[in-house]
Amino acid sequence: MSSNTTQRAAGDNLSGFERQITQARVDAYAEASGDHNPIHLDETYAASTQFGTRIAHGMLSLAIVTEMLATEFPDTWHSGGKLKVRFSSPVFPGETVTTYGEITSIDESNNGLIATCVIGCKKPDGTDAAAGRATVPLE
Amino acid sequence: MEAPLISTAVVGHEFGPYDVTIPAARAAAYAEAVGGAESPDYGDSLAPIMVVAAALTELIADMGLFSGGLQTIHTGQEVGWVRRVKIGEKVDATARLAANSVRRGNHFATVAVSYIDSEGIEIGTSTTTIVVTGQASS
Repeated sequence: MSSNTTQRAAGDNLSGFERQITQARVDAYAEASGDHNPIHLDETYAASTQFGTRIAHGMLSLAIVTEMLATEFPDTWHSGGKLKVRFSSPVFPGETVTTYGEITSIDESNNGLIATCVIGCKKPDGTDAAAGRATVPLE
Repeated sequence: MEAPLISTAVVGHEFGPYDVTIPAARAAAYAEAVGGAESPDYGDSLAPIMVVAAALTELIADMGLFSGGLQTIHTGQEVGWVRRVKIGEKVDATARLAANSVRRGNHFATVAVSYIDSEGIEIGTSTTTIVVTGQASS
């Protein structure tokens, strides 16, 4: 990790990390976000869905991915950063997700250098829970 | 039960504005839920995704997607942010239904959201894609 973002190069990996998505974390996220969809909270209800059990909020996984971006690009992620992700697989409470990212290109723009990164987080079986791209100003 | 709005809303339908100002207590609860001590220190600023989540909750409620019998799956998300937002700073979100189709009985909807500060300046945008299955029950 470096706060000197102008020294980045294509091929650089972002510093991923692991985080366990416990049901307590899901419950706390529901309270904080106001998203009380029973598919996240009610095991009886969730058992009747296609997933068969409760799943974590997709936005919780995405929030964890954006923490990686905020850590990697502390001066610029919140001021000009963009991302687009697809929620590919549900995260089940108790699973640990691992964030990942790589700078795939750095391009000049009217506002300076912009890094394009592949980003996401993986489930324990290696499948993507969330995956996509982000662009972040480097200066 | 009244049919959820997603059943009748046409593309271009606007939702909001929603006041998505995040007070300190909610910001702290959110940060604790996402990562607690493991999370970066944002100081007096918010993680933009927190504001997006607040708008999404209002939007899903307005669209009637908390109705029993419906299953709402969040399948995609875009976010772009122009500048840092302070904790407690006034932000309003206005949403527009950008796509709404039905395939095999499932609704596929895309909603674009614009975030405006107290000066009337757009400070962020987001786009949410959801799939809604099932039938609203009474």
